Amino acid sequence: MVASSADTQDVLMEIRNVDKAFGGVKAVDNVSMDLRAGIITTLVGPNGAGKTTLFNLITGELSKDSGSIKWLGNPINKIKPFQASRAGILRTFQDLRLFNEMSVEDNILTSVENNSVPIPLTKSQRTARREKVEHALNRAGLFSKRKVRAKDLAYAERKFLSMARVMATDARLWLLDEPASGLDPNSYEKFLEILRDEVKQGVTVCIIEHNLDIVIGISDRIAFLDRGKLLADGEPQSILDDPELRAIYFGERT
Amino acid sequence: MEAYLLNLGILISIYSILGVTLNFIMGYAGIYSLAHAVFFGVGAYAGTFMAMHYNASIFVTLPVAMAAGAFLSLILALPALRVRGEYFVAASLGLQVLAVTIFSEWKSVTGGIGGLIGIPPLDVAGFEVFKPSQFIFVTVGALIIILFIINRLVHSSFGRSLRAIRDSESAAAAFGKNVPLIKTISVVISSALTAVAGVLYASYLSFINVESFKLDTSVLIMAMVIIGGTGTQSGPIVGAALLLLLPSLISYMDFLPQTEIGSIQQIIYGLGMALLMIYRPGGIVGRKKQSETGKE
Repeated sequence: MVASSADTQDVLMEIRNVDKAFGGVKAVDNVSMDLRAGIITTLVGPNGAGKTTLFNLITGELSKDSGSIKWLGNPINKIKPFQASRAGILRTFQDLRLFNEMSVEDNILTSVENNSVPIPLTKSQRTARREKVEHALNRAGLFSKRKVRAKDLAYAERKFLSMARVMATDARLWLLDEPASGLDPNSYEKFLEILRDEVKQGVTVCIIEHNLDIVIGISDRIAFLDRGKLLADGEPQSILDDPELRAIYFGERT
Repeated sequence: MEAYLLNLGILISIYSILGVTLNFIMGYAGIYSLAHAVFFGVGAYAGTFMAMHYNASIFVTLPVAMAAGAFLSLILALPALRVRGEYFVAASLGLQVLAVTIFSEWKSVTGGIGGLIGIPPLDVAGFEVFKPSQFIFVTVGALIIILFIINRLVHSSFGRSLRAIRDSESAAAAFGKNVPLIKTISVVISSALTAVAGVLYASYLSFINVESFKLDTSVLIMAMVIIGGTGTQSGPIVGAALLLLLPSLISYMDFLPQTEIGSIQQIIYGLGMALLMIYRPGGIVGRKKQSETGKE
């Protein structure tokens, strides 16, 4: 594979020989890849390729059968989801999992608070927190809806709230599970703009996406998974031009 | 008549404490406990034990009762909150059954089935409170303080974490919430505050036995919370008042056959609850209707 500009970035996360089987099915099969700082890496592949499972293994939602993951050079093999979050790895869910009975504002507010016991904040901390929440509300276009319960939002607004929860935090790595699926063209333009801005400001993104237009539009690097195996990992164009991968992706497998 | 109303007022405020403390874990953290009467009982027995054998000052009885309630709840919460919600219901039911046995058998502390009599009145900084006209100030005062504490907690980051966990445990964990720890803390706080109601109850009646702390009581408290409005501030108080006033109201209705009053009361309860859950699932002070948008 030809070395690209993406290869020169620092490696934030190092995934090595990770396996996960459910019963007899290998959901993730000996996957090794790097997530590099400041770029968007897209995971593509047919349904059941193991993309979401890989997210779950990274954040500790599921435990690996074998293999290792390093974050900023340190092994995080036994990490629990709340620890992953506190270490700066945040994820969204395909089914969103908003805090439905809470207001939009409280959804975002609680996402930036990760203390288990109530700690009184100083005034400047409180102001800083408020600014973060307001920034995320504005970016996601939800400021006027901040008092509305999450469950009462329209579909696109719910997707943006899911993003806003991540945006308000200081996380360095965002794992986004199909954040743009089902968005109308206007909304996804807005979504792409937000994503590009955040990456410019130093966030690293790993995104699961099916829509090839979006994949081409945002990816700095593509990792192609099929039946748990990493088939290719590299520059977007080289992956998308590969006839074999295209055949798998469009279901023309023989 | 005045004594009768005072008595009702005192009981309503004590049961309101029970409702408010159960609502704290049920309405905000989504933890359904069928063992709430156990912590009510532990508070009552622990406070009484201190009052009868050592010192009746509330500055002794209350902290000891709260510590006992907190400690016991920790034993329940540590294993039971690591697993999914339904298991906690089952575990709490188990604790409730076990506790009734202990309350009936541990004669040196609980007086066995016969219970304990001659419990000293509350000693508030050297002042003995036993007249109902004074006692009501203590119980209402305690209710207000507990409401204040819970209100502060609910509107803090801790309260938001609880509600986040209730709405989606996995998302809460993904956003840095140590779910088992936060749930455990909430159960411990709730149980410690519940024990306060036990102390007040024991010294008000000056007699307690296991009958007050059985599963019926746990169910009654849960019904108060659900009927009043789970996850609302005033709901548990409205529910407690309603369920304690209803029997008196029914007994004032002369046209009802007095010999059947018990079964009529049960029918009214059952019917009322079924209708309420159909037409106002959020309880009396809860939201009118569940929203119909935003479904996935």
